[in-house]
Amino acid sequence: MSTSIRRWVTSWSVFDREYTIEQKETLLGYGLILPSILLVGASLIYPVAYNVYLSFTEVPLDPTESPEWVGLANYEALLTDPEFWQAAQNTLVFTFFSDVGATALGLGVALLFRNKFRGDGVMRGLVLLPYIAPLIAVAFTWRWLLQPTYGIVPHLLQDVLGIYSPGENIRQTMEMVIIFDTWRYFPFAFLLILARVRSIPEELYEAAKIDGAGRFARFKDITLPELKFVLAAVFLLRWIWNFNVFTDVWLFVGNNVPILGTFVYVKGFNTIPPNQGFAAAVANLMVIALFALVLVYVRYILDW
Amino acid sequence: MILKLITSATEALGGLSRRFRRQSIEAPLWERALFYLTLGVVGFVSVFPFYYMGVTSLVPESWLYSRVPQAIPALADLTLENYEALFGAESVPFVQYFLNSLFIGTVSAALGLAFSIFGAYSFARLEYPGRWVFSRGVLVNYMFAGILLVIPIFQIIVWAKLVNTRLGIIVTHFIFVIPLGLYLLGNYFRSVPREIEEAGLMDGYSRLEVIVRITLPMSKPAIVATYMYAFLLSWNEYLYASVILRDQSLYTLPIGIEQLQYAFQNVWGDVMAASVVTTIPVLLIFLYLQKYLVEGLSFGNMD
Repeated sequence: MSTSIRRWVTSWSVFDREYTIEQKETLLGYGLILPSILLVGASLIYPVAYNVYLSFTEVPLDPTESPEWVGLANYEALLTDPEFWQAAQNTLVFTFFSDVGATALGLGVALLFRNKFRGDGVMRGLVLLPYIAPLIAVAFTWRWLLQPTYGIVPHLLQDVLGIYSPGENIRQTMEMVIIFDTWRYFPFAFLLILARVRSIPEELYEAAKIDGAGRFARFKDITLPELKFVLAAVFLLRWIWNFNVFTDVWLFVGNNVPILGTFVYVKGFNTIPPNQGFAAAVANLMVIALFALVLVYVRYILDW
Repeated sequence: MILKLITSATEALGGLSRRFRRQSIEAPLWERALFYLTLGVVGFVSVFPFYYMGVTSLVPESWLYSRVPQAIPALADLTLENYEALFGAESVPFVQYFLNSLFIGTVSAALGLAFSIFGAYSFARLEYPGRWVFSRGVLVNYMFAGILLVIPIFQIIVWAKLVNTRLGIIVTHFIFVIPLGLYLLGNYFRSVPREIEEAGLMDGYSRLEVIVRITLPMSKPAIVATYMYAFLLSWNEYLYASVILRDQSLYTLPIGIEQLQYAFQNVWGDVMAASVVTTIPVLLIFLYLQKYLVEGLSFGNMD
């Protein structure tokens, strides 16, 4: 018995064996990725599980005390909280419209860049600016542009166009948050779509022209089908990011347009006393909802 | 799936140069005019906020808070007083914020890359069972944005007694850097020709020697690019810095700038000056990164 165990142990021992090259590669492969996996696992899988646990507890303010088990109380409180439903509804509206906005604008600008023109590279760089600049800088610049008393945009709307009443704060509206987010992320869609747009063979368009296809027909029957895949991917990625958005909205309007991301933050860190168990429950529901939405999208809409 | 899409998009950009054509000369005049007009509008919309940020940072209070807002200052109006106020303020250690961000970004990007270089090589090049789990696992990250994990990670930081320390924020950023490194470098290592490595193996190098002596030196530009993306990730990160750091002397730029509004008289001039100072290093990095734009930007941002 014990010899067979010893033999078994030896046969698996890393040190006492001659390895084939393939086995060495395998060991090295695991060895090299292990630290990354452990760290990411520790920072992803463990927190996800811990978050589920925390959502069933009341997290004490004093870190030396351990969380107190409260069962489903957080979820019950959550589902009857009108603020939660408001935030959830806002999140869906925001996610959908800013995703459509960024993807559509990105597509439009990418089509504009289909043929190379003089200054093409410089223009591309300028169009990318909203996306690559630090969020804190653009969020505050937009706040300043829209500042009710001294901001240049309200001034234009009110004194020049006359479509704005004094005292109104157009920044703190869902529409403006969507516009801001569309502006910030259309370059992302643009960049990915442009790569595909420019790889559509010119011959397709020429053949269609000879067949008498008009501009719209060429767009509908050549451009769109060729771009279907990349558009679907861009829409999906932006959906995921918009759904989980926090910093963009928080730095731009604070809690004035509450969405789920800011709801988690406010409940967990910005109310007195903070209610982190409750915030954890919100985050868990977000994870479940997002997975469900993505699954439906991938299975039924994309038909992958 | 997403990975495949993005890599194919990336490859397509590589094939761009073949497809470039000049705007065809036969296009009618009105069409060309419309084209440039639209292009002008797109450019204006993209750039105007940055222009206005720069202008605001360079003019005195009286210009900003006049009854009729203006867009173009006279040369005589330009002044550096906002920058002087920003860097000279007693109440706000702005230089300290800048240095904190620089330090935290430099260290966490370096730590993150030290791990992810080898991890990325492992799943990009070595054959072993279960490898696909790792390369797909990177994508699961897309789903878990910072806000979903902020409560448990904050609790772990509390438990580790790292609240309000630089180490606390470095540890968080460093771990966020790893998936980025795995993703970008994994894509890159796949494109290194196998033959070169095999030649090394033939010459009697072990696999590890091949990595250190052949593959890594060859990949230097890609590693530098990944390092810079990792740095930017930390440079821009707001959420975790805002919950972990409490003392003003530890603030990074994003929280520091957010706090500025309470500290200054001419708030907008100073906030815009701070925004310019934060944006410039980022723009310089992107000028360098041009070649790696699509790969890097497709990973998305941390929040």
